Amino acid sequence: MRLSLYVPGNSWVHRLDPLTKLIMAVVAVILVFVLPGYWASAALLAVSLGVLASGGVLRRSVPVFLGVSLIAITFFVVQGLVYPGNQHPALTLGPVTFYQEGLLLGLKLSLRLYNILAATLVLILLTNPSDLVESLVRRGVPSRFGYVVVAVLQMIPNMAATTGTIMDAQRSRGMETEGSLWTRMRAFIPLMGPLVTSSLIATEERALALEVRGFSGNRKPTFLHEEVIPPYAWAVRALYLAALILAIAGRWIG
Amino acid sequence: MTVIEVENLRYRYPQQAEPALDGVSFSVQQGEFIGIIGPNRSGKSTLCQALVGLVPHFYKGAIGGKVMVAGLDVHQHQVWEVCQRVGLVFQSPFTQMSGAKFTVYDEVAFGLENQGVARDEMVRRIERVLRLLGLWEYRDRNPFALSGGQMQRLAIASVLALEPEVLVLDEPTSQLDPAGTSEVFAAVSDLCRQGMTVVMAEHKVDRIAARADRVLVLHEGKSIAFGPPRQVFAREDLPALGVAIPPVTEVCRRLGWQLPDGTYPVTVAEAVQMGGAARGNHNS
Repeated sequence: MRLSLYVPGNSWVHRLDPLTKLIMAVVAVILVFVLPGYWASAALLAVSLGVLASGGVLRRSVPVFLGVSLIAITFFVVQGLVYPGNQHPALTLGPVTFYQEGLLLGLKLSLRLYNILAATLVLILLTNPSDLVESLVRRGVPSRFGYVVVAVLQMIPNMAATTGTIMDAQRSRGMETEGSLWTRMRAFIPLMGPLVTSSLIATEERALALEVRGFSGNRKPTFLHEEVIPPYAWAVRALYLAALILAIAGRWIG
Repeated sequence: MTVIEVENLRYRYPQQAEPALDGVSFSVQQGEFIGIIGPNRSGKSTLCQALVGLVPHFYKGAIGGKVMVAGLDVHQHQVWEVCQRVGLVFQSPFTQMSGAKFTVYDEVAFGLENQGVARDEMVRRIERVLRLLGLWEYRDRNPFALSGGQMQRLAIASVLALEPEVLVLDEPTSQLDPAGTSEVFAAVSDLCRQGMTVVMAEHKVDRIAARADRVLVLHEGKSIAFGPPRQVFAREDLPALGVAIPPVTEVCRRLGWQLPDGTYPVTVAEAVQMGGAARGNHNS
């Protein structure tokens, strides 16, 4: 019923407040570009993977990592072959030669890619999106913005269901929706018409319904759910921010 | 105590030549159940929306006359201010769900959060309205996973949680099956018995005839009758104007089962009583 990859659970990562997880993800992504060398990047990746594993979603992230490996392979192949700084041949396979410099650059880029991915997955797989939005709205993000983000998560699956209904209705009246590309494209118009019209009508009705529930009032909103920040969240935040400061300082001095 | 006072209300939607409401006047006492009936496009929905200020504030357009509801001059106040005293329930249960909440319980909280109600007060009110509308056991469900009747009751609960003095319902059962319709009417009648003022626009005239204290008949934006159901449905001119009357009233009229005051029965119970009496006379 909802468009979200969030995997519910009760690990220490799940119990962290959304803001801490946002800090973790943002800091990790910044660190990717601040940390020098391969070992530091690899260590960072290990930390992110560790977080994913202790959240119980390592298996869920494997397909994502595998999917992206295509890009990583491309990095190795392209940089290994044609990186302008290539000097020392490392590997020769028939007519093609891979160079050491290019392969190392490929490794660096791939580490960055996987680091960013792992850091973002902490947020995507282990954070309830509506909780994240609520915690941002508490801190001054406009509630209209928050509403749009959360409503989209729920409305898109609903629209998909509507699309299914319209498609069945058109099919039952003899429209061909399967077959050649041309048939499918022709089926698109009688599908989009009702979908767009019904969505527009629904949008106006929903706008009215929100209005009578005080959505555009100027009161300071309250929240049904209390925000729970576990004590260890502060330690996690401090750890990540300290790592960031150290990395920046190290970069600046070094 | 007069809760709703509408005086010579005239309204035209933007870019429309014909007025949607044309000189409507009526007043409603506290605790009354008012039914608004009339053919399609007679101005029922517009009148409902005028009671909370969506007309004219949301739609703009030209307005005249005066609407006083629960002590507020609706034309001088914002919709969200009026809605603290007047609740409005719409036709489609589906589009009334905020979409931003993932459980029935949280859905009720949506309006309360917007109004800045304190948390413990929120918890108290949510439990009260969910129990009142028989939804307490569904509190952890996703709102979109409810049946139509349940979803509409949730919409009513969400509006009631704001503790309005008046509840306005715009054809709340038009997308529901008979069971869902009965659920909604039973819930609304209960509220009315507890002192809530209810205004309901509705096509199902037999239900209105059975439940409403007074009926307002709209036709082309004008109010053509306002009174107790029996008096209103006794009028000879309604069918010609396209205004539906309860089938039982139609039958009694054809049979000549007239009550002593010149009106006809509007519910089956009344007709049965009448018919029994008629047969008794016949036998004697």
